[in-house]
Amino acid sequence: MLVAWIVLIFPAALMVAGAIRLREKAAPIMPPEWAERAALIGIALAAYSAFHAITFGPTTSPVLGLGQIGFSVRLDAVSVILLMLMSILAWIILRFSATHLQAEEGEGRFTFWVCFTLAGIVLLFVTGNLVQLGFGWIVTSTGVNRLVNFYPHRLGAHRHTRKKIIFTRVTNIALAAGLLLLYAAYGGSDIASINTAARAGVVPTTAILAAACLATAAVFQSALLPVHGWLTETTQAPTPASALLHTGVLSAGGFLLIRFADVMLGAPLILAVLVVVGGFSALVGSVVMLTQSAAKTALVWSTISQMGFVVLLCGLGLFPFALLHIVAHAFYKTHAFLSAAKANHFIRAARKVGPVAAPSTRNVVQAMGIAITIYAFVALPLGLLETSPQAVAIGAVLVLGVGYLGAQGRANAAPRSLRLATAKASVLFAASYFGLQWIAQKLTAGTLPPTPRAGPLEWMVIAWVLISFAAVAILQTLLPLWSTHPVVRKLRVHVANGLYLDARMDLFAGAWKTDPLKKDT
Amino acid sequence: MQILNQDFSPDLRGLIGAAEHAVRKIAPLFPLSHGAAENPFNGLSHEPITMTSARLARSAGLHIFPSKETQLSRVETGEITLEDIGISRFEVAPTLTQSDQAILEAAKTTNYIPQAIPTVADLAAQHSGTDWPNFVTDRIGAWAQGHFDTGDALWAPMAKQNAWASWRDWAMSDLTPEIFDLAGFCDTINQTQHTHWRAIGEACAALGIDNEAAPSVFHRLLCDLGGWEGLGRYHLWKAECARIRDTTLTELLAIRLVWEQALHACYANEIGQQWAALILAHKEPPQAAADHLIDATLQRAAERGSARRLDALLAQAREHFSLAETVSCNAQLVFCMDIRSERLRHALETVNPEIQTFGMAGFFGLPLVTQTQDAEAHHPALRIKEDGPCADADDAQDGLQQAISRSSRAAVSSFAYVQAAGLLRLGPLLDSSLFHERRVIGYGPVPRLPFETASEAAADIAEKVLRSINLTKNFAPVVVFIGHEARVTNDAQSALLQCAACGGYDGAMNARAIASLLNETPLRKSLAKRGIEIPPETVFRAGLHDTTGDTMTLFITDPVGDCNPQPIRWLHDILDQACDIVRAERSINLPATPRGGDLYARGGDWSQTRTEWGLAGCHWFVAAPRSTTRNQNFEGKVFLHDYHFANDPEGKLLADIVAGPLLIAAWINLQYYAATVSPQGFGSGCKLTHNVCVGIGVIDGNSGRLRSGPSDQSLFLNGKPIHDALRLIARIAAPQSAINAAISTTPDIKSLVKSGWLEVGSINQT
Repeated sequence: MLVAWIVLIFPAALMVAGAIRLREKAAPIMPPEWAERAALIGIALAAYSAFHAITFGPTTSPVLGLGQIGFSVRLDAVSVILLMLMSILAWIILRFSATHLQAEEGEGRFTFWVCFTLAGIVLLFVTGNLVQLGFGWIVTSTGVNRLVNFYPHRLGAHRHTRKKIIFTRVTNIALAAGLLLLYAAYGGSDIASINTAARAGVVPTTAILAAACLATAAVFQSALLPVHGWLTETTQAPTPASALLHTGVLSAGGFLLIRFADVMLGAPLILAVLVVVGGFSALVGSVVMLTQSAAKTALVWSTISQMGFVVLLCGLGLFPFALLHIVAHAFYKTHAFLSAAKANHFIRAARKVGPVAAPSTRNVVQAMGIAITIYAFVALPLGLLETSPQAVAIGAVLVLGVGYLGAQGRANAAPRSLRLATAKASVLFAASYFGLQWIAQKLTAGTLPPTPRAGPLEWMVIAWVLISFAAVAILQTLLPLWSTHPVVRKLRVHVANGLYLDARMDLFAGAWKTDPLKKDT
Repeated sequence: MQILNQDFSPDLRGLIGAAEHAVRKIAPLFPLSHGAAENPFNGLSHEPITMTSARLARSAGLHIFPSKETQLSRVETGEITLEDIGISRFEVAPTLTQSDQAILEAAKTTNYIPQAIPTVADLAAQHSGTDWPNFVTDRIGAWAQGHFDTGDALWAPMAKQNAWASWRDWAMSDLTPEIFDLAGFCDTINQTQHTHWRAIGEACAALGIDNEAAPSVFHRLLCDLGGWEGLGRYHLWKAECARIRDTTLTELLAIRLVWEQALHACYANEIGQQWAALILAHKEPPQAAADHLIDATLQRAAERGSARRLDALLAQAREHFSLAETVSCNAQLVFCMDIRSERLRHALETVNPEIQTFGMAGFFGLPLVTQTQDAEAHHPALRIKEDGPCADADDAQDGLQQAISRSSRAAVSSFAYVQAAGLLRLGPLLDSSLFHERRVIGYGPVPRLPFETASEAAADIAEKVLRSINLTKNFAPVVVFIGHEARVTNDAQSALLQCAACGGYDGAMNARAIASLLNETPLRKSLAKRGIEIPPETVFRAGLHDTTGDTMTLFITDPVGDCNPQPIRWLHDILDQACDIVRAERSINLPATPRGGDLYARGGDWSQTRTEWGLAGCHWFVAAPRSTTRNQNFEGKVFLHDYHFANDPEGKLLADIVAGPLLIAAWINLQYYAATVSPQGFGSGCKLTHNVCVGIGVIDGNSGRLRSGPSDQSLFLNGKPIHDALRLIARIAAPQSAINAAISTTPDIKSLVKSGWLEVGSINQT
């Protein structure tokens, strides 16, 4: 399957295009197009690899290099989907930055590091062996650090650099340890063979330790609480860098768990911890987001919570859903960032509509009740209820989310037409995600392991997820009713400050120390 | 300024007076939805620039003169001559002892970096190694984002609390300062007074600030609020317009003072003596340094050069005077006085000499806002309701959009939203990446005016509009009122590019309203009684000039009353030709796009940061009959307002022009001046790191600093300023005595002229 090597042209093309921009010193007259063209090559290659994977089934190319050290390309549902995602995002982001940074100081440097980071992510996503995975990971994290610190002279730049260095080190050490342990456990670096062995039930203690290391790396990479601090600092970098970091780079954490799904399933306790850690980030992140007024800062908290949700899905063993969420979130967040300056537009629109009527407790109970009913009616025909309890629980959580949409339409002050419109939209939403989940499951069947059977531990975890998510969903729908209570007002301050998790990190990293070098600049 | 509470001690009353005085030295920061021009030196421009620069240097560490490179290049290109320096030094710096030549040489050598007087936070940082100044800004910003939010966050703090109470609530619960070893901060706040005046009094007592030092200390601290002081000043400005009291800004001052108090208490032993010395420094009255005087002299010399260039252009134009008068006209186009209209007007008259153009403030005498717009428009506003049936279906659609948008941001439901609809964002992503053509925006039905067309009020407005541009006879068959807008997408500060006279909105509504009014038969009858006879074959039309792509929209389907409209295809063609010329002229100065200078696609490109240069380059203001400026290309540097002295014996029209359009033009010019010379202080920084705080402004990254003014991208290209930092030169076609009389009616203009921030001269005299 040598032909799969062709995919490696994509990262190579990105590197070359980036290097060309780096060499050029003077500001170009036209927005440079080389990088964008490299991404177009990537889209073509992604299309080909989809064809390849469909025709020949999942394959791994031989190693291009010495023995087990070198590049090999894995083409299966996971890597092809992510390759398609990344090639499209690469094209959009590079095309955007070419004009956005035109005539800016350091445009060449910026384009180079974006290309460099993208190349790292692509190498990571299509990797067939542990060596390439580690290489891609290091390339990515090097690029990320350069992008986050793109304006080294900006106020507070040294602040986040200090934090980021600590996080990067922990992440890289955890990943390196995980990869070495995997090699030790399975005696080879081919990822497909490792997964096959693990699926057959070969999970030695070293593999469980490896799973723990991989989980740690994934949590740090996904910027989950409490190691999320550096992500809020990405607002210091140009907008396209944020779009890249929040989508491709952060997805690497979830990718790690999905790629080694079989190994992870061998360590149920670690999965349970991931559910708790991911769920905590998902809930706290999304509640903190409620208090944020600045567009990009709110998006940062949104990413923290969405990545938490991805890790939660992985922890529940719902790997296809996690993959779907990574892809959907990437498109959503890229668009949200690149059009973040439009936010002003929306305020005029919002003023035109006026405030949304606040639903009462009764409205909320009604809406949530209707949503659960819809769930039963949409989910039953698709046969979703026959699958794992984990999937059913996640379905219920998402349905509660749709309930929020419905509740706004059911507020007593809302006009009838709005009630109808939100009801219709709720049905469409529910149908859409159950449909998409069904497709994700079909596409990845065989590549990703089925959801494990629920034992006592899994049931406990499921109960925790259901209760905590339902509580937050209902409480926040009722928020307008209790937000003036003194205790809640106090709580809001703590929440708006992200529960001081980042402040503690700042203190630990000495982030607010004056930099003696910068004192006089 | 009166203090309501009588039980304050005389000392405290003194401090309150100082605070009330200090807050008026701050310039308001208008929310993003407004494009209102503002004087960045508000409260400071009643004094000459030498004094203002001295004040800003010690209070904010800002330098408000062009950079050395700019001054040098001006000397080298001869824009600054020895002769100009000789005259200017007596105007702005009579105390300078150096020779003219020495001042010229000084432009090459001095490199003055102003240093603000340190605050307690600065001193504490030096001693503790903790970055207290930025920490304080960060904390104040974190609170202020929530407090001033107008509805973006789903979980907002309690509304209807004043700033001080809201901040006390916040600071008593915020544990961050204590995490960073500011022990007992929450308790300290708990012990502060409930009225912010008393808190100011206590803080001043603790810090040893007496009535003598207070004005300077207060100004220093107000300049250190991370931009939020501007928003506070905006609230005060709104209150002043409505003639009510507002203490937001003094409350912000109290907040910053309490921070100083807390830090002082913490580091009293280490920094006590240094701080006492600084109090003495604050008591010294600010004095212009020699560098300020030299800079001011050079700046004034450069502005003399600018005035000379304008006068030369006007003198040239006058040679064609008689020629222009005799041409008959077949269309009359009334434009906004905006500098971007000037290019188009010149191009139009070149393409077809039988077209007559006029210039006036772009709201065409109709201070309108629709209900969809913000009630806080920049001018005294009449509220009008948009015409046409309010379709229920549209409301539901908008409501649904809102509900979905909230769901996408709310806890838990955001996961459902991403899973279900995240993939759909691929559509807009590809669409925005591939296609840049502007969406056709509906402008809605013609706005209906809030008064009867036969009423006196309507006739008053119509008469005033026509008389102000001297269009009272010789009406062409078609008269078009042309507003302007910048059709841009994905630009948080798009309001800055819109019509400043229309409060940062497009001028379509005003143009359409005045056109439709003038087509009404009852109105024409009342106008006829007042001596303005509009022939029945004359039809009024409205148009809209898109300043980004230079395209023209004519509202040809707008009803024209009882008039019998003639086809205006020919006018379309002429406008198109003129727009082509303007595009060609403008594209030279803008960085290229992949399709080569295509300005059409520029505004629609979501990644474009330099859609157009907006009002950069505004150097001159001319109020004169068009015939005296016609046939002269001012290259988009001049605000052109029509004015005919012969029709204005009492000087009422001139007083209006001076009080309105000239003042706005001067403010816009100062806004660009300030942002060019000190982007750090008066610009909004790099667009790439703007973090939009909806309804408030842009925050710089995650620093908590609110910024306003033009961004770096609208001021600089490849490190060079686009706008030449020169203050406005105005020329009016009227005798100097009439001009002086008009100036004296407007205190704002009077003080600007008196302190040299604006030069107003008579055309006839030069």
